[in-house]
Amino acid sequence: MSDIIGSVGDVLAVACFIAGALLALIGTLGLHRLADTRSRMHAATKPATLGVALCALGAALQLSSMSDVTKVVVIVVLQLVTAPIGAHMLGRAVDDK
Amino acid sequence: MTPAQIAALAILAVAAVVGVARVVRRSSLGDRAVALDTLTAVITCALLIGASRVDDGLMLDLAVVLGLMGFLTSVTVARFIESRKDDQ
Repeated sequence: MSDIIGSVGDVLAVACFIAGALLALIGTLGLHRLADTRSRMHAATKPATLGVALCALGAALQLSSMSDVTKVVVIVVLQLVTAPIGAHMLGRAVDDK
Repeated sequence: MTPAQIAALAILAVAAVVGVARVVRRSSLGDRAVALDTLTAVITCALLIGASRVDDGLMLDLAVVLGLMGFLTSVTVARFIESRKDDQ
């Protein structure tokens, strides 16, 4: 039984990793494709929040020690708190066209 | 298990190259700051996948530090752009 649960966790973790990596790729492609700086910031938010959160979920499913899983939670919370603040300051600073 | 993680890391490597191309290409300071912010997120994803590969907490410490550094970098660059605008 625990074997089945373990392999389901493996499959979920792999799906999360691939989805997170694809979001990162889409975000960096958007940096090239979109027209102005604020549109590019819109593309940049995808890997910064959902991409990191998906990779963190995959890592949390795979890691064995509880303290490591706690560190993963710290990483996600830190990212979710700091990304909007940084984006807000950058958005105010970039030139108005 | 392992091949899928390597595939995810390969996708992240492609994403990192695309992001670096955005930084190197001639563009404004704000664009470069946004691209470097995105690269920080890409590297954090890679560290998380690497941590699950070796089952080691060291890479997670690196990811925490990288997250803090990325935040400080974007705030510093934003303040620099603002101060440069005030001078003109």
